[in-house]
Amino acid sequence: MATHGYSGNSFDRWVEQSSIHGTASDNTMNKMQHQFWVAKQTILRRLGKKEDDCVVASDAELDAKLELFLSIQETCSQLYKVVEQYQERLQVLAQEENTFGHFLRTNGELDKTCAGKMMNAVGKAMIYSAQQRVSLRSPLTRLYQEVETFCQRAVEDTSYTVNEMEKCRNDYRGALLWMKNVSQELDPDTFKQLEKFRRVQSHVRASKSKFDRHKLACLQKIDLLAAARCNMFSHGLIVYQDNMATFWKRTSSAMTTVSEAYKGYQPYEFTFVKGLTYPSLKLAAEKSSSPEPKL
Amino acid sequence: MSYAYLFKYIIIGDTGVGKSCLLLQFTDKRFQPVHDLTIGVEFGARMITIDGKQIKLQIWDTAGQEAFRSITRSYYRGAAGALLVYDITRRDTFNHLTTWLEDARQHSNSNMVIMLIGNKSDLESRREVKKEEGEAFAREHGLVFMETSAKTAANVEEAFINTAREIYEKIQEGVFDINNEANGIKLGPQHLPSNANTPSGGASASQGGACC
Repeated sequence: MATHGYSGNSFDRWVEQSSIHGTASDNTMNKMQHQFWVAKQTILRRLGKKEDDCVVASDAELDAKLELFLSIQETCSQLYKVVEQYQERLQVLAQEENTFGHFLRTNGELDKTCAGKMMNAVGKAMIYSAQQRVSLRSPLTRLYQEVETFCQRAVEDTSYTVNEMEKCRNDYRGALLWMKNVSQELDPDTFKQLEKFRRVQSHVRASKSKFDRHKLACLQKIDLLAAARCNMFSHGLIVYQDNMATFWKRTSSAMTTVSEAYKGYQPYEFTFVKGLTYPSLKLAAEKSSSPEPKL
Repeated sequence: MSYAYLFKYIIIGDTGVGKSCLLLQFTDKRFQPVHDLTIGVEFGARMITIDGKQIKLQIWDTAGQEAFRSITRSYYRGAAGALLVYDITRRDTFNHLTTWLEDARQHSNSNMVIMLIGNKSDLESRREVKKEEGEAFAREHGLVFMETSAKTAANVEEAFINTAREIYEKIQEGVFDINNEANGIKLGPQHLPSNANTPSGGASASQGGACC
């Protein structure tokens, strides 16, 4: 009772066999037609025409992952620039600090008053701080190099994989367009139409499996890239963080010593700005009369 | 093979619910546990007898994957019957039924007979959708409902044949215009007006249908 049209597993196998071993002209024709639809898809995409919602929706997971990749790519190159500027400025700051410290010391030695001593002490603290600050540079340089390698190697490599995948995706979407086109007037009982459909179907199947492979590779690679970035930061930033903490601890203790040593108001004998002599003396008198615990 | 009528069926539903397996069970009476992904559409055909008449079922087994959705939409056109399939072990396939139904109603003719099928009824232990829920959904949307198993062949035959019977009854009632191919019904070669000119093959037995 059962009867089959041009379908069923045995037929499918035959079609696939025949499409593999098909005559050369047949294959060329198919390839050309496929290329036509791929080109059409490329143009649609370039022109920013609205693509098939269902097809776009079916790639949602992949597109979300690509967003992540683009963000990694962009933030890494930004970080690369920022770290470079940061360490350059850190260097400049340390130099300025050092120069300022030396300036205070030289001038402090010339001034024989209490102000001279203060200037000398502050100057020493500044020079110390400048020396400590430079120690922040080495972990930053390290981070800078690592980010550079990461951008040039890992991100570049992933970007290559993504591009390959995009090519396959374009191929696949082109094949889908083709299939949609031949599906409009499909009648399985008309052998010619069915044969044509089978040919297109084998193209779609091939491009789909290729795209699926690249898609998986892309998803895995981007996950790996994100993990590698976290790893890089956790290694590189630990040294920076430690050095930063040591820097603040040392400089703050140096500064505290200076500030403790010259606590309260230190009167100064104005020699040029005479107008300030009286208020200065008055303030000193007030300060010393008020009960202030001495260390 | 000659036939009195040809009915076009489509099978729709989420990916992996067993559409291709249902078709294979119906046409070949066998079950394949692992089935290749359907690309676009596959076809199956089988003759059945209703009311003493030979009816050819031309079945379009559509791809369930989302990427093929807009392609499969073009297959709805001119279908007389649709099997809307979900998987009783996967709640999400049941939840998507409304979308499928909307799609089907929008892209097909209004008289299309839709049969709701809860497949994989052999996997009772992993059931996520109760039979009552399927029945309620079918009642609410005016569909016929059945639970099937493409693996054990339970109800598979019935699902296809009951749909055909319903279409057949609609033809008898005059709901379907059989001369309009957009309805998914074709008359067999011997029923066409040009009948007199065609050389009669071995199909003369099925002549004399009261269809016109």
